Amino acid sequence: MKNGATIILDWGKLKFFLGEVLRNFSRNTGMQVTAIGTVAITIVLLGLFLFVRGALADVGSRLLDQIEVSAYLRTDVTPAQVTAIAHFLAEDPRIASARFVPKKQALAELRERTKGTIDTALLTENPLPDKFRIKTHVPDDVPAVAASIRRLSGVDNVVYGQKIVQRLLQLGAVLRRIGIAVIVVFFAVAGIIISNTIRLTVFARRREIAIMQLVGATGTYIRLPFICEGLLDGVIGALLAVALLAAARIALWPRLLEALPWVQLAGMPVDARLLVAQLVAVGAAIGVVASWISVGRHLRT
Amino acid sequence: MKSPLPAMISLRGVTLVYPNGVRALDNVNLEIEKGDFVFLVGDSGTGKSSLLRLLYREARSTAGEIVVDGIRVDRLRRKRVPALRRHLGVVFQDFKLLVDKTVWENVAFAMQVTGAHTRDVMRQVPRVLDLVGLSHKSRMYPGELSGGEQQRAAIARALVNNPKILLCDEPTGNLDPANTTEITALLQRINLKGTTVVVATHNQAVVDRMRRRVVRLSDGRITADEERGYYYLGLGQTQVLSG
Repeated sequence: MKNGATIILDWGKLKFFLGEVLRNFSRNTGMQVTAIGTVAITIVLLGLFLFVRGALADVGSRLLDQIEVSAYLRTDVTPAQVTAIAHFLAEDPRIASARFVPKKQALAELRERTKGTIDTALLTENPLPDKFRIKTHVPDDVPAVAASIRRLSGVDNVVYGQKIVQRLLQLGAVLRRIGIAVIVVFFAVAGIIISNTIRLTVFARRREIAIMQLVGATGTYIRLPFICEGLLDGVIGALLAVALLAAARIALWPRLLEALPWVQLAGMPVDARLLVAQLVAVGAAIGVVASWISVGRHLRT
Repeated sequence: MKSPLPAMISLRGVTLVYPNGVRALDNVNLEIEKGDFVFLVGDSGTGKSSLLRLLYREARSTAGEIVVDGIRVDRLRRKRVPALRRHLGVVFQDFKLLVDKTVWENVAFAMQVTGAHTRDVMRQVPRVLDLVGLSHKSRMYPGELSGGEQQRAAIARALVNNPKILLCDEPTGNLDPANTTEITALLQRINLKGTTVVVATHNQAVVDRMRRRVVRLSDGRITADEERGYYYLGLGQTQVLSG
């Protein structure tokens, strides 16, 4: 008994096989275009999502890095209390650094920052309190650390960019959720369209398939051209998407930087080559999985 | 009469009930030796096609034991069906040729889809086209051929993988008498080369001219099995089987 599963390649076999795949592929041009288009849209969305997520993470982490906690001390604070607070801050493992800023230095810093706008010489006495400037290792710890410092005696008030931190974290989470939902929907749509395309090809080729089965072609051999067709849909769609994204990047990137100077993106927030590889791989995966399922359902081998 | 060699095709107590409840075959026992030429005759719907379909495992028997070239077809798992089919060539009334492929491509297709080497395809296709007498029309499309030529192409395709058995389901059903004679002669030639041939037919002239073994089916049962039979019962040496 011949081993039906072994397919040792020779040029004639390869040519025959590719001919069959191309024949399938060119049979339903309209469906093929629809399938490729849907994959392209899906992959463009995925690319944009990965880009925006990267950009947000980039901007976010830079903003969060700048977040520090300022603990203002009471005006009647005693040196012993200051020492105790310094001790407490040094003990907390969540805290990366804590710097004591005496009010004289605070005033000097204020003068430096507001030079030319406010005449601080008008001040007859220093209205600023002493304070500690505290940085945490992780931005997520900021609220808890602030709360624990607030309870210490001699501490008047604790201030940090609460709103900014919370907004940023929330925005990131919401955008991620919306993005994932949209992409999942598009993945499903792309998958359904590809599998329908394959179904039409299977239907169009039912005579060939019947004959293949009759003469003893193995299931794998019969399925392979259809899987390749799905793969082709996925990869072409992904390449199209990559081309669109690249065009968009070239056309829109300078304008984006111009329009949003505060974003302060150093460069592309994602590795372009890695992104292209990921997107093409995802396209190929949609194509193969969708056609695999479709062939499994519509082709009894 | 028991043969010392195991039969090429053997059915024992084979029953086939279709899902709609139709009993296509009922306790069929049949042995076909290597190199035999057998006609299956009987009215439409008596189970001739069903019997052939069981042999190439297009249908699965409800009960009984089927052996084809040493393979237990009734127990064959789906994955092993391709291996069985490579031992068999099947020919139909409607040829089942691919209209967008040439004769050469149609025949080669049957080898190519089994993963055959191009070298073997190049050697084997001309050989079978020569056997069926279509070498000069190998570049033509089925639509450009007569019915007889199309059936010869289909036979070439059935033979290209060197099967030991050729199953024909009404091979001359769509042909005029001249083409029928031609195809019959071709089947005989193939049989002389050692291939076991089983032909389900309605064609009285073919059966009567050939005078080969005739197995008669009626309502899913074998009612007669004659060594050198005619289309109608009682004209040859008859071995009537008890149910």
